[in-house]
Amino acid sequence: MPATVESLPAARPSTREALLRRRRGWFFGLTGDQVVKYVFQGNAAVSIVVLALITFTIFRDAVGFIPKNHANLVIYRLAGLEFVDLLREQVAAHSAISRYLASVRAGQLARLTKDGGLTPAEAMTRLAAFDAFANRFADTLGEHEALLGSLTDLATSLKERKKVAEDLAEARQNLLGAVAGAPPERAAALRAEADGMTIEVIDFKAEIQPLLALRPEIFAANERQRAALQELLAAPPALPVPAADRPLDKFGEFVNRYLAEMDVTARRLATWNQDRPIGWMEAFNAFAFGRQWVTASFWQDWYGVIPLLTGSLLIAFLALLIALPLGVAAAVYVNQVARPAEQRFIKPYIEFIAAIPSVVLGFFGIAMLGETLRRVSQLPGLDWVPGFPMAERLNATTAACLLALMAIPTIFSLAEDAINNVPRAYQEASLALGATRLQTIVRITVPAALSGIMAAVLLGFGRVIGETMVVLLCAGNRIAIPDLGAGFGVVFQPVHTMTGIIAQEMGEVVRGSIHYRALFMVGVVLFLISLLVNWLAQRIVRRYRISIG
Amino acid sequence: MSPPATTAGMIYARPTPAKRAERAVFWLLRLSTYFVLACAACIFLDIGLKGGAVVFRKEAPFINVPFLTRAPETLNVLEFEGRKLTLGDAAFRKFRAEHEAALKGVRVETYVYSAGGIFPNIVGTVLLVAGSIFIALVLGVLSAIYLSEYATEGPFIRFLRLAIVNLAGVPSIVFGLFGFGLFVIAFDFGVSLLAGWLTLALMVLPIIITASEEALKAVPKGYREGSLALGATKLQAITTNVLPYALPGILTSSVLSIARVAGETAPIMFTAAFVVRDELPWQVQQWTDFFFQGVMALPYHIYVVASKIPQNEYTRDVQYGTAFVFLFTVAAIAMTAVVLRLRLRRKYKW
Repeated sequence: MPATVESLPAARPSTREALLRRRRGWFFGLTGDQVVKYVFQGNAAVSIVVLALITFTIFRDAVGFIPKNHANLVIYRLAGLEFVDLLREQVAAHSAISRYLASVRAGQLARLTKDGGLTPAEAMTRLAAFDAFANRFADTLGEHEALLGSLTDLATSLKERKKVAEDLAEARQNLLGAVAGAPPERAAALRAEADGMTIEVIDFKAEIQPLLALRPEIFAANERQRAALQELLAAPPALPVPAADRPLDKFGEFVNRYLAEMDVTARRLATWNQDRPIGWMEAFNAFAFGRQWVTASFWQDWYGVIPLLTGSLLIAFLALLIALPLGVAAAVYVNQVARPAEQRFIKPYIEFIAAIPSVVLGFFGIAMLGETLRRVSQLPGLDWVPGFPMAERLNATTAACLLALMAIPTIFSLAEDAINNVPRAYQEASLALGATRLQTIVRITVPAALSGIMAAVLLGFGRVIGETMVVLLCAGNRIAIPDLGAGFGVVFQPVHTMTGIIAQEMGEVVRGSIHYRALFMVGVVLFLISLLVNWLAQRIVRRYRISIG
Repeated sequence: MSPPATTAGMIYARPTPAKRAERAVFWLLRLSTYFVLACAACIFLDIGLKGGAVVFRKEAPFINVPFLTRAPETLNVLEFEGRKLTLGDAAFRKFRAEHEAALKGVRVETYVYSAGGIFPNIVGTVLLVAGSIFIALVLGVLSAIYLSEYATEGPFIRFLRLAIVNLAGVPSIVFGLFGFGLFVIAFDFGVSLLAGWLTLALMVLPIIITASEEALKAVPKGYREGSLALGATKLQAITTNVLPYALPGILTSSVLSIARVAGETAPIMFTAAFVVRDELPWQVQQWTDFFFQGVMALPYHIYVVASKIPQNEYTRDVQYGTAFVFLFTVAAIAMTAVVLRLRLRRKYKW
């Protein structure tokens, strides 16, 4: 122990006096020890302050999103963009059927040339009837496309005028704001300039009329299209190679569904009402349940979190699916089975894995793993796996594999702790009753540690969903809701994530703009998820302590 | 194997179905564990081999000095008189001045950041780590002393522990948003070292607090009581009889958090990191500017070279070289922490 005795200064009061008199310092009458204590306490309080500041900062910037998105949606309706999008949906549905025909044709061509042994030219002639049919089908859309084009132009110009007016109004505000601080003659000039600005007041009610006037034309085009389509359906061409899944029957089904949807769309077009107010809840729901994240578009920006949230969740669950068995298996093995020498090697090693920087893992994914996985998926023996061969080298699976490697150390150390905390008596009792070690592990040890393991998994989930660099580099960054129609193949689709979108777009947005605030909203969602995960994990751990007694 | 001699041996050696299942499952567990280790080894090997080829040289001085001491440059690739030339930016400008006429119409491919070295990035990372660890250690150790030596159960402490646990779970990108919103914009630090320090420090704070508290709690109560019984004040007891024994533990934990701070990219992306900057951090006009300058950092550089430039034979060197330097620096730090902890556990057993 180091020496603590100090030589006493000469002029000190007697020991008895010093002990009896509590010396109060000059600092608010506190004793030295109290001052020290408050210094330490103040430092500890920093954690609380930081948590409060984080909450405050990101919520403050996020809250402004609601009014901005509200204004965004109001213009969407007032300028008639919503009206145009109704028709656009219909046109898109028609194009989807055209694409289906094209895919059928591609399949036929492949069958003809590969299995039938025809040259491409011969195959083309065999497909001529089908091509003519497909072309006639595509032609039925012509009128609608022209209508959609003119509608789009009208609505865009209206929105553009509104935007110019808003910008002018803002510039005028800035000028007027500068008036206050300027010297008199400059102020007069500024005021004159501000007064000289003519800000257009747009009467949306009147401006929208040309759009609405096109309604009868749309309905007339609908009727002509219906007639043309029914004519087409009546005489489908024969396929050169009969296919088991009867693609043309499916086509007929699609067309009939399309026709039914056309009626619905027509009704919605007829009853579309520009005056319907947009509530604040709607502005929020457009974020929380919005299925599109489209930014910097000439038409309309959408800030819906669903594609990002589903992408994040898909990757997180996939990663856990890999990390959970491996992490728990490793924990059980190290704690229950491994020899001490093995333990001494494996535990630091796994701890060491936790120290691999995420950006290096992401780089490894781009440089090696993505390509390797794709090569594997192209092996001919593996084409029974749904989704193989992979279309993209960077997809949800690539990211999930690397994230699993990040989650394994977290799950491993917490699960190992939990298993370690199971009282020895439990295991000894089980062994004494004649159970094998495996039976003891499966029936006694793991169940007793189960809540600890669950907490470990939850925290691993928190780690995975909050991870940024790996998903930013390796998830493929395609903003779309994973297509569950692909079955298990969904895991090989590229996705975008909440963390990735913040990292990718935060550097480029204008401060205070709606996009900036939308990114903070995504941050709030992440923050809330992390709090929820923590809270659940703590609850589980608390319960687990009681169960061990 | 020789046949078992005793009855007991015979009973034990008979492979019952339960025993066989046990062996099979244990092998499965063993394989899973080693599979994880093998995956990690693959990453270390891939980056170690390909990056090592960039960083190390076969002949003296055995290390690729220019790569470690120069700034990133644009790489120019061109075909000249039947040879493929790869030139850094400065060399290319000189070359172009010399061969003005011959270079007319020659196609030059350029790859940003693929020539030169990564010196400013290393400097920036070191600065970021040093500053943030300093801040985090001061705040964290003082907080831990409060929690372990002064705190008495109460609503404040419960709230404090709740805050620490939740802070530990906040994703790093949210810390980045927070640092951006508060330090960069609200406090108007701009993209700067200071903003990066504070963001990173607050991010590792919960780790340091938890680990330091554990180290402090591990010091036996008798040490404190002995000191107090001799008439020392509480502060004296802490500084002379608790901190010195807890210090190794605290340092170990802080080494581990250095690895964490150095490895994080997301929090510095919008608070401290520049993609490219010509001046080195000490080339500032006033000393106060030092704190308000952005720096280049290794992790951000890896992100940039991995995502913003194409993957081919010319860019591979800088990608793997940077990843190698970064990975093995962080790994060395983490290794130090792990080894230190093992030695400490053996040394201090009370």
